Amino acid sequence: MEGVIQTIAYGIVVGALYGLIALGLGLIMGIMKFLNIAHGTFIMLGGYVSFWLFALWGIDPYLSIPLVIVAMFLMGLLLYKLTLSPLLKLPHIGMRIDNSLLVTFGVIYVLDNAMTLIWKADVRSVIASYTGGALNLFGTRVSYTGLAGLGIAVLAAVALYFILSRTYFGKHVRAATQDAEAASLCGVNVQQTYLISCGIATALAGMAGVVIVSSYSVTPTGGLSWLLIGIVVMVLAGEGNINAILPAGIMLGLIESASVFVVPIQYRQAIALLIFIIVLMFRPQGLFTKRG
Amino acid sequence: MLEISHVDVYYGDLQALWDISLTIGGGEIVTLVGSNGAGKSTIMKTISGLLKPKTGSISFEGIYLDKLPAHRIAELGISMVPEGRRLFPQMSVLENLEVGASVREAKKARHNTIRWIYELFPILRKRAKQRADTLSGGEQQMLAIGRALMAQPRLLLIDEMSLGLSPLLVQEISQVIKDINKSRKLTIFLVEQDVNMALSMADRGYIIENGRIQSQGDAKELLCSERVKETYLGISPVEKAG
Repeated sequence: MEGVIQTIAYGIVVGALYGLIALGLGLIMGIMKFLNIAHGTFIMLGGYVSFWLFALWGIDPYLSIPLVIVAMFLMGLLLYKLTLSPLLKLPHIGMRIDNSLLVTFGVIYVLDNAMTLIWKADVRSVIASYTGGALNLFGTRVSYTGLAGLGIAVLAAVALYFILSRTYFGKHVRAATQDAEAASLCGVNVQQTYLISCGIATALAGMAGVVIVSSYSVTPTGGLSWLLIGIVVMVLAGEGNINAILPAGIMLGLIESASVFVVPIQYRQAIALLIFIIVLMFRPQGLFTKRG
Repeated sequence: MLEISHVDVYYGDLQALWDISLTIGGGEIVTLVGSNGAGKSTIMKTISGLLKPKTGSISFEGIYLDKLPAHRIAELGISMVPEGRRLFPQMSVLENLEVGASVREAKKARHNTIRWIYELFPILRKRAKQRADTLSGGEQQMLAIGRALMAQPRLLLIDEMSLGLSPLLVQEISQVIKDINKSRKLTIFLVEQDVNMALSMADRGYIIENGRIQSQGDAKELLCSERVKETYLGISPVEKAG
């Protein structure tokens, strides 16, 4: 019984992180129809910013989140202005996805090399006073950093939900997602809406980076494995279904966590990719989106 | 109020409009009629900024619109009810109306404007929380008009208002449009395939064929002209004689 509770707790904690990783990715894909494969690299960059703030000025990684958000938001604006906005002129969504994939592949190379130059290729992580500590909950141990990650993921998902559903900006985002031309006829500055959305998405990547550098580690080339997880979660949730991303992440975390009962632990990530293939084959609209 | 002067418009290499010139005065209802594919909607899209003219100019109250993006044109006071309504299907009726008031001044007055829209189309109040894609065709058209009015425009462009609606509904919505024109002095530019309805409610009319303006004049006179009767109303001289 203890093992089951431990498995569930681990699944929820790691799944929430998966959800946090996919939030920004899903936001850009859902709104602008761009597949930003540099998202994992931005997660690493966010982790490095937090690492630097900790190493240079002793700022706790969780307290550094507002600074990381600002820095990564600005990075997102740059990403949009320099690479993504020219792609909006492409007439078909398929062309947008293809070209964004190529362009952001280039962004990965630039950022990977820049991060290697600045922080070297070594593995970096933040070891704070509470790292390694855990809370006993219902007979199971949950790490403090894991709990903090869960809290940050839930807060980010709830904040995004409120921004999208309750604010005028959120209504503009949703309108532009559903019909960008009609939105512009209503006076919505679609380009500005995309720009800010890209900033928010990259800031979310930065938040995920803070959680990862506190619980795991970052390397300049480490973004790819996190990107893959983000894509799996996005597909599970269904394209554009941003509200379902956190539940989809937790579901993936639980399945991965439970998979250790049937397959060796080193195959855990393979389970995620297997689910990805099955969903794409039989339910391409995602598990959380109604058919139609 | 609006002046289109010698405008040519292309879709890629394909020319859709040739040397279009027309004017719309303040407080008027002007209609542009023509058959399917004549270029009516292209003119609407060009005025609203979705398409850019290759040559010629468009000015609204002295401001040239040719280079402005669609959202800036909306801010100047031109609002459009697009063909096919183009509502935001996954958003509620109320949210669609709120997005309609995205222009700065309109945003401040949105609560009052929503009340006014609900008075014009009471069914929208009942459907306020319903998703736009669950409305009937008539309700969707009312919402599309309501959304455009939310911007508090000085010029309202309406593209194919009657498309897919029953004659009774068209009559009802036309009456609302005429009332708004009278009570609020709102200028209206109406593009229609239903020539009879459009010319009946307009002050002046233009007839477009194959991307060129063929004739223009007083709407009532156009409605009585032999050419309109024969080409658009299907009344041939033989029938009349009979």
